[in-house]
Amino acid sequence: MLRPLSIAWIELKRFGADRGALAFGIALPIALFALMYGAFGQGVSFSATANMVDLDGGPVAAELIDRVSAFDGLEVEMLTEAGADAALDRSQILTAVFIPAGFSDRLEAGEPASVLFKRRGSGGDSGQVASQIVQGLAQDIAAEFEIRELVRSRLDGRDVPEAEIVATVGALMEQAGVAPAVAVEVRAVGEEQNVLDRLIPGVLTMFLMFAATISAASIITERNAGTLERLLTTRLSVNQLFVGKFLASSGRAMVQALILLSLAFAVLRVGDAATFAQVVAFSLLISAAVSSLGLVVAGLARTEDQATWGSVFLTMTLTVFSGTFVSVGETGVLAFLSKLTPNKYAIDAIGDILAGSGGLVGQGPEAAILGGIAVVGVLVARVAFRTAQ
Amino acid sequence: MVTNSPSTHLAHEDSGFLTARGLSRSFDGALVVDDVSFSIGRQEIFGLLGPNGAGKTTTIRMLSTVLAPDAGDVTIGGHSVLREADEVRKIIGVCPQELALYEELSARDNLVFFGRMAGLGRREAKDAAAENLGFVGLLDRASDAVRKFSGGMKRRVNIAVALMSRPQLLFLDEPTVGVDPQSRNHIFETILRLRDEGMTLLYTTHYMEEADRLCDNIGVMDHGRLIALDTPVGLKSAIGDPDEVTLEQVFLNLTGRSLRD
Ligand SMILES: Nc1ncnc2c1ncn2[C@@H]1O[C@H](COP(=O)(O)OP(=O)(O)OP(=O)(O)O)[C@@H](O)[C@H]1O
Ligand SMILES: [Mg+2]
Repeated sequence: MLRPLSIAWIELKRFGADRGALAFGIALPIALFALMYGAFGQGVSFSATANMVDLDGGPVAAELIDRVSAFDGLEVEMLTEAGADAALDRSQILTAVFIPAGFSDRLEAGEPASVLFKRRGSGGDSGQVASQIVQGLAQDIAAEFEIRELVRSRLDGRDVPEAEIVATVGALMEQAGVAPAVAVEVRAVGEEQNVLDRLIPGVLTMFLMFAATISAASIITERNAGTLERLLTTRLSVNQLFVGKFLASSGRAMVQALILLSLAFAVLRVGDAATFAQVVAFSLLISAAVSSLGLVVAGLARTEDQATWGSVFLTMTLTVFSGTFVSVGETGVLAFLSKLTPNKYAIDAIGDILAGSGGLVGQGPEAAILGGIAVVGVLVARVAFRTAQ
Repeated sequence: MVTNSPSTHLAHEDSGFLTARGLSRSFDGALVVDDVSFSIGRQEIFGLLGPNGAGKTTTIRMLSTVLAPDAGDVTIGGHSVLREADEVRKIIGVCPQELALYEELSARDNLVFFGRMAGLGRREAKDAAAENLGFVGLLDRASDAVRKFSGGMKRRVNIAVALMSRPQLLFLDEPTVGVDPQSRNHIFETILRLRDEGMTLLYTTHYMEEADRLCDNIGVMDHGRLIALDTPVGLKSAIGDPDEVTLEQVFLNLTGRSLRD
């Protein structure tokens, strides 16, 4: 009864001995995760550079520059006037903010002051946004000076020291900034809060499908190489051989799953150790389901090419229609089609575990469906299984 | 057409260690093995000769339980390959014509794995692997991947794998193809030694002098039929002085000079 295990073990050993396959098996997930991390890992937030020229050098100009650089997603790049003009000329930058000489003096004297925006063409999307932000911050500062001036003129004649006016107005402004009268809340629209919660299980399932179907296709290589027939001259029964191949394919998918999930959890920090364990446990079920599908493909295919392309076709079709990359919604034809793919149940279950809702225990229906696919697939594959060329 | 009287074999078929009766098999409507009957006595080296496509490999596949005959039956050690395939597999070893090895694994891993499949325990399989690799002169290369071996070395691994089950009956389908004279001599010695240790062997080859030297009895197949069955001397005597004629002359006499397949 240990023979199927020996078959699975020798197959993993062969996979391990094939440095190329192993490197691909590890390098490709790393590359994929690097891409995903780059695209979605840090959240979709704004970042831009504000190019600023300080011709004033006074305290208010310094204050404005401070506030701009303190703004989330904005970085300040200080330029000289000539440098900024030259860079604009050569399109190295598309916008620049010039703080004119006398800016601080005018504001402190209670007079209106201005800043100058220069832009090339439209200034570019991020340049426009950066300019708007600098404008807003400059207006804030101007408003503060204006208010301070108004307060001072109202208090004119009463014996209030200048320093106290400045301090009180400053404190009040700060308070208003911390607790503004109009609060702004940002809420994500749509069902998915975190794109990674959906993408990780989707990509995981897709990878497992490729791994399992390609490994199952190696049965055809073995059939052609004669080792499959040779095995049958030993005491191994066809059933043991078949079970061994199923375990081998599932085992190889699990190796891939462990690599992928370790990367996902280490690099993208999508959950804690308990979540990791639950996702790995559920991956066992996915591996079994996709392996049985791989064995069906290998059983139906006559040549290695047919098996490989059958695997690619099956994996891609199921991936696309499951809604791995494009949301298929809750109703309609696409939603119905997605329910015919094992990927959908894997994605739903692992997505739930990642999102922290339900955990492993809550995935009963999905587990039942994937288990059913595994059982039916294995039975169909056993009928299609051929050992001789 | 059987040119030689089938002498002892058919007459004593029930006492043979292997007895094939009326074996037939077609592929896609073409009769590839046609009513073949013969028997092999214990501790005998039996040569199965014939031009390309004569049906030798197909016959061996039926004898070794992996291909079901359309008609006929075979008993090996008293067990029918049709009804007691499991029992038959316990006592046979097969060295297939095409190399059937895991190239990315070491020679030792190949032997141990097939030994495990033949029912040996871990320790047993490891010991037997070392013994058999020594037997074919490859013990010093045991840890190397088969992929890195020369063609002749792979042939020897292919034979060593077949010995892992400690078979009573060993099928060797063209074991000396593509092998240099040194290795071939080594394989001859191996075969004779195995026979002396009690093994029965069925052997196919296209080298007539090889068959002449090794085989106790020879069957010649052509177009799926067994057309001659005798000792090497018996076959040669049929066309002249057995000391003068070669087995190759007998072979060409029997099977004609036209090209096959
Ligand atoms: N699986 C198969 N499907 C179809 N035809 C087959 C199959 N196996 C063998 N044949 C045909 O049966 C005939 C006998 O083949 P076989 O391999 O038994 O010959 P052989 O005597 O071993 O030849 P060789 O000396 O070249 O190895 C050939 O014509 C071959 O094409
Ligand atoms: Mg052959």
